[in-house]
Amino acid sequence: MLRLLAAFFLGLTVLTGAGPVFAQASPAKPASGHGPIHALHITVELVPVSNSIQPGGSAEVGLHMVMDKGWHVYWSNAGDSGEPPQVAWKLPKGITADAMQFPAPERISYGPLMDYGYPDEVVFPIALHAAVGLKAGATEPLGARVNWLVCREECIPGKADFVLPMKVTSQPPTTDAAAAALLQRFQAQLPQPLPPGSKALFQPTPSGFTFALLGSHAGQPASSAEFFPLDQMLISNPAPQTVRESGGNLLIALKKDENLSTAPANLRGVLRFADGVSYQVDAVPGEFAGANFAASPAAGGGQVAATSSETLSHLLRIGVLAFFGGMVLNLMPCVFPVLFLKGLALVGSSGESRRRLRAHGAVYTLGILVSFWAIVAVLLVLRAGGHRLGWGFQFQSPSFLAVIALLFFFLGLSLAGMFDIGLSLTSKGSGLADQGGYGGSFFTGVLAMVVATPCTAPFMGVAVGFALAQPAVIAFAVFTALGLGLAAPFVLLTLHPAWTRLLPRPGAWMEILKQGTAVILFAVAIWMVWLFATAAGVNALSAGLLPGFLLLAIAGWILGRWPARLGASAAALVVIAAAIALPLVAVRSFPAAPSGQMDAANAGGEDWQPFSDAVLQKYRAENRPVFIDFTASWCLSCQVNERVVLDRADVRQRLKDSGIVLLRADWTRHDDAITQALSQLGRSGVPTYVLYPSGGPARVLPEVLTPGIVFNALQGVNASRTDTRAAQGQVTEGAGSGKS
Amino acid sequence: MIHRKLFSYLVAMILTASLMAIATPAARAARVGESAPDFTGTASDGQTFKLSQFRGKYVVLEWHNHECPYTMKHYTSGNMQSLQKEWRAKGVVWFTIISSAPGKQGYMEPAAENAYLKKMGADPTAAILDPTGTIGRLYDAKTTPQMIVIDPKGVLIYDGAIDDHPTTEVSDIKISKNYLDAALTESMAGQAVQTPVTRPYGCSVKYEGAE
Repeated sequence: MLRLLAAFFLGLTVLTGAGPVFAQASPAKPASGHGPIHALHITVELVPVSNSIQPGGSAEVGLHMVMDKGWHVYWSNAGDSGEPPQVAWKLPKGITADAMQFPAPERISYGPLMDYGYPDEVVFPIALHAAVGLKAGATEPLGARVNWLVCREECIPGKADFVLPMKVTSQPPTTDAAAAALLQRFQAQLPQPLPPGSKALFQPTPSGFTFALLGSHAGQPASSAEFFPLDQMLISNPAPQTVRESGGNLLIALKKDENLSTAPANLRGVLRFADGVSYQVDAVPGEFAGANFAASPAAGGGQVAATSSETLSHLLRIGVLAFFGGMVLNLMPCVFPVLFLKGLALVGSSGESRRRLRAHGAVYTLGILVSFWAIVAVLLVLRAGGHRLGWGFQFQSPSFLAVIALLFFFLGLSLAGMFDIGLSLTSKGSGLADQGGYGGSFFTGVLAMVVATPCTAPFMGVAVGFALAQPAVIAFAVFTALGLGLAAPFVLLTLHPAWTRLLPRPGAWMEILKQGTAVILFAVAIWMVWLFATAAGVNALSAGLLPGFLLLAIAGWILGRWPARLGASAAALVVIAAAIALPLVAVRSFPAAPSGQMDAANAGGEDWQPFSDAVLQKYRAENRPVFIDFTASWCLSCQVNERVVLDRADVRQRLKDSGIVLLRADWTRHDDAITQALSQLGRSGVPTYVLYPSGGPARVLPEVLTPGIVFNALQGVNASRTDTRAAQGQVTEGAGSGKS
Repeated sequence: MIHRKLFSYLVAMILTASLMAIATPAARAARVGESAPDFTGTASDGQTFKLSQFRGKYVVLEWHNHECPYTMKHYTSGNMQSLQKEWRAKGVVWFTIISSAPGKQGYMEPAAENAYLKKMGADPTAAILDPTGTIGRLYDAKTTPQMIVIDPKGVLIYDGAIDDHPTTEVSDIKISKNYLDAALTESMAGQAVQTPVTRPYGCSVKYEGAE
């Protein structure tokens, strides 16, 4: 019957030649004032719960729409196509209307597109209010112009003018039970505020966002959850939403809109569960575990399989990258002093059997791995507690810097010949000394990892950023790959007998090598002292760290004067403990100097402005291209890039000419805003260089800069300007030659 | 011996596989600020057009469905035709693209489309018939009318709605800000496009396979 009717109307439209415009040619006027009116494929009616309103009181009205089978109207965000219904009121003085409320929608799929709306039937509740001073007695006609778009495959717009008589009376209104029941049925589908104790967060991922509902989701079946974005152009509507439950949290992987270039401040929407319960959510950026669990570009069937294999190949790729990144770390200036130590140990043991060499290699690897695991565990525990730290965070702590500076100084004293660590501290007999040998290998492994972190090497930035946003198991797997990579060259050396045979026999020259290594360790100590002064100020330096060096020198003298004597060793240990305690106490007693002249942000002069999200957004809104240098004074690679590339005269000139805004984000000390900006870029440490072309998406440059890389990147930024100039020339030609 | 050989094959395979995984970029749709994907299309007049042949000129892509009320708003008012005339006079190449599948709303045989163009006084460079939806999906076209602007370098500089009034009311046209006009004007004046992306409004593109 309906189909017949539809065919009749279709025939009518064809006959009148007006096509679908017919439906909107002039607004339909319902016979009874508030409907219902029957338009093409839809019946529309304004349903009042009562026909009267008290001065100072309210009245409920529902905009009721019933669609033919297969036809639908839209939610406030219609999705990829369509438009939501609208009501424009014409109200007498003293009566106001709230905005219409939208029940939770459904996903309506159409080929590659996805709309959000309501099939079959919907009621949009609207609240009317009467002013306190409104005079009772009069019957006021309320005018409402309603516009809608009803679609199946085709869309038909329509509109109608309703008149709703509303009596102003001091009597309590009489309720129309049927109307009230109808409204209630749809009011129950309005999104509710989140239950107390729940919190909505999101994190950017390589493919979009992960939305998280932390805490209780009111016993709803998590697997049925669907996220509907309130704002358009944020997420890809048709992309399948992968839902996962993790540690009591509900996670949904959302793919971002292709054209989204800046991270949104919040993710507003409706979270709907299968049984019709829905919540309003306003997710803000925040940390939670397991954010990167799915990136599913594959639309259509077999989503789950596609997702897991995708994640697996992604994981494999990151693992391989982490391994190579770890190997490359051996070439970084940070790790050099440790490699010297390691080389020394290797030479010292070159007379030993292959088995022992291998054992040393294994212990060294274990040292690296254990320290990586420890750091990851700390980061994960802190993350679970809601803290944000980035890779290399330990260098933001002056206490850590003091301990490392003391350590290098002490090792330097020993290597320079003041005393022998192996003899004095472990003392007594060759059995223990042998153990000390393995202990030394383990310890060099730990040291290699510890000093390698500030050199967030090429390849490693991505891996570290990825890993730290992962569930614990994946984070550990990635860091294990990284550690194995770091250990690999040395382990290969110990495994391959032909190569160890190339090493020279031990001899007098070893003393010279040792002393040379001591010089390098002292140089590292100076670097650490500089970092310490930057972080903790000159007072803590002169009252804490420098006297600490003096105490260490005394301890070294004791160990050298009375070697292998228990009493002397004990006394030295006490002095060493005092040497360590001194700077740690000083750090607490002398508050850090306010952002000193030594901060990285001030290097490079006035071309650079300090970074903040507000500044970035401001320039982005003005369509200015922006370049951000994420740096820290403890990051050697950053300093090298800045001195060798960014501060070079010709590079500075080119940066200036391009009109690009230069921002410097100084991460020398802990800074939440910068940590967050880094994590939005999928990064976790410095150096990071980001270029925002005017109006375009962010581009992350490699960690090792060259002038060529910068020039190339700048060309991209200026493309739009030079292009359009060239284009104008061509356009004039084109116009002269007529049609194309 | 055999074992060792097997082992090295295995290692080589794993290495190759992981390198391939690194090297393979994910396919994705067109994006503003990036180069516009190339396509070849057959027009209603029988000619074949290849996008990359028009490097050096601005190119406008207009997704079209003559039965869609939103498209009709801009054709019955003559708005779309005057945009076509204005910008083609300034050297812009204008492709009207019909991605409706056979049997779906807006689908056109070449002859019918030619008659329609003549009747409406429309004057695009060509009306490209894309019944398989290949070009539409390549550009992630969602609605009719959706407008895309490509600059002479081949870079996509605008993707979205024709104007800021997502209605079917002809009377809204004169109070609307036309995004297409703005993008072309700004870009030709050497400025960056102020609003490079908007939500396209209108009817969904009637792709093949969709129901």
